[in-house]
Amino acid sequence: MNPTPVIETIGLSKTYGKTDAVSGLNLRVMPNCITAFLGLNGAGKTTTIKMLLGMIRPSGGEARVLGRQIDSSDESVELRRSVAYVSESQRLYDYMTVAQIIRFTRSFYPAWCADTEKTLLRMYELPPNRKIKSLSKGMRRKLALLLAFARKPDLLILDEPSDGLDPVGIEQLLETLVSQCSTGTSIFFSSHQIAEVERVADRVCMIHKGRLVMDASLDEVRESYRQIDLVFNALPDEYELRMPGVERIESRGHQVRMIVSANAESVIERARAYYPSSTEVSPIGLREIFLDRVKEN
Amino acid sequence: MLWYKAWLETRARFLISLFGILFLCSYCVLHLEQEAVPGTLLSYYNYVLTEGYGMLVMMWVLAVTLLMMGGLLREHALGSASFTLGLPVSRRRLMMVRVGVGALEASAIAIIPTASMCVIASIWGKPFSLSQNLFHLVLLLAGGAFFFAIALLVSSVVRGEYTAPVVALGVLLLIAVTLGDQKMRLFSPLEFMLGGEYFNRSSSLLVGPIPWVRAGLWVCLAALLTWVAVRVVDRKEF
Amino acid sequence: MFFKLNTSIGQPFYVQLMQQIRHAAESGALQDGDQLPGIRTLAEELVVSPNTVARAYSELEHEGLLELRQGSGAFLTIKRRARGLTERVQAASRKVEDLIEELHQEGLQDNEIWRLFETALFHRAEIGAE
Repeated sequence: MNPTPVIETIGLSKTYGKTDAVSGLNLRVMPNCITAFLGLNGAGKTTTIKMLLGMIRPSGGEARVLGRQIDSSDESVELRRSVAYVSESQRLYDYMTVAQIIRFTRSFYPAWCADTEKTLLRMYELPPNRKIKSLSKGMRRKLALLLAFARKPDLLILDEPSDGLDPVGIEQLLETLVSQCSTGTSIFFSSHQIAEVERVADRVCMIHKGRLVMDASLDEVRESYRQIDLVFNALPDEYELRMPGVERIESRGHQVRMIVSANAESVIERARAYYPSSTEVSPIGLREIFLDRVKEN
Repeated sequence: MLWYKAWLETRARFLISLFGILFLCSYCVLHLEQEAVPGTLLSYYNYVLTEGYGMLVMMWVLAVTLLMMGGLLREHALGSASFTLGLPVSRRRLMMVRVGVGALEASAIAIIPTASMCVIASIWGKPFSLSQNLFHLVLLLAGGAFFFAIALLVSSVVRGEYTAPVVALGVLLLIAVTLGDQKMRLFSPLEFMLGGEYFNRSSSLLVGPIPWVRAGLWVCLAALLTWVAVRVVDRKEF
Repeated sequence: MFFKLNTSIGQPFYVQLMQQIRHAAESGALQDGDQLPGIRTLAEELVVSPNTVARAYSELEHEGLLELRQGSGAFLTIKRRARGLTERVQAASRKVEDLIEELHQEGLQDNEIWRLFETALFHRAEIGAE
């Protein structure tokens, strides 16, 4: 009942001189899911993605994308037949027109979907005979997305796809992501827009300083991540409240604030033994979790 | 479609070079004889031919150097490399297509002007010699292959839009100056292209058999440099 | 029907969808035999992962409230028993209103009542889950 991951890395590392861009990354991205890849700038997201696509050679570890080894040049070409990639701030060929680059890209993909091409051309209002050089930043972004979506890839890797898009463009992008996913494409995208991630993603992987710091489904996050605020007359030792699932404890005067990733009920039960004068449980958003993880490390 | 892309990228440079050189070659054939030393009709034309080729060699080397700028490194600087490298094509293949299109264009810039010189001479009733033209062309293409490969290599190492051609032209100048010395001439691709060694001053003709072996050696050296360039790009991380 | 998903109430989207469909069935907004939008259509409309909608539908099918037909969508199958729920929900709603009124009179603010409810329900849900 365990489907093969579309992306699987085992101890994947990349070192530049003495700095570790990615260190010992173990990542699993499941098929038919929308997986978000979160991290600060310089956390190692882009390096990871470029390693997956064979643009950067790993310093250590191994990885498979759609079951193919990424460090073999031939396998890498093969896997790119079924993967579409739009990088952060990707530029296209300035000297081509919209129609020309569509024709150019189409020639590499036998499964090219003319319907998607037409729909998106209309939705994004891209003028076919305009030179790419004269398109606005947002239009170029949309064209890059069109070229990725129309390939009918098995796996779509997007690095900051909403960068440069206006709110309407972002909404259209998310809708397209959803419709691609429902036709069987697995999606792996990095983003700084936590609100959009929270809405559309099935799973979240968080990377910080080249390491994976969280891998959870959003259902899990909504169901089990809680912030517990307690007020005690006599503050118990922090140690007493430490138990599995407690991610962070902070105390200020008589107040204790805890962030738990699981077992909220047992944590509350334990806290009750110290007679809190107030117990408050509230759900916690992805944004808070993200900031917390980044701060912690 | 990679060929189409490579063609679109170099089209403007190629056409400008081709028509520029065509114009200069026609000018040579039609007007240079006035500057020639008086003598027979044949030596007029031979003078024209040698001068014409001298000019063609210089212009050709310049044009090919500019023509071979660009490629993945440049695309990386512009930001479109991640799109190109996302396509199901290996870097080696991308390079080979560039070399292929470049070689075709470089040959065209040599062959078309040569042919035009013959045609113009015959239309205006001037003497011409097919075998002399062919001799010049072989020297030009074989020695030129080296400069072609140098330009490719520079474009695979230096990424700037202006720095790359400047470096390439610097290398060119360096080769011309250091190997231009009397003792080093044998090793200079430029001297080989100009054909000074085979040139007979009294008849203004290239004499002797076409030096196929030395031509082959220059082509081999060019192939080696091309291979190095392909390896360099293949090893690059971006 | 209209759906509304809330990211800040600490409940998975699929659970929210299930509750809203159940509620619509109980309140009569949806009738027996009514068709719900397809998974893809609803996912695109709500801009959520299609897996979310698929999970909600399949759990409701498991409960017997929905019937999924290959290619033609999801249909509501409301059994007689569900009808009685309408009255019960209405009665419960009156009780809750009374209680809130009572707590107001004791000087509690809306947001304090809200938190009490949330904590109490959460407490129950966790025990139920174990």
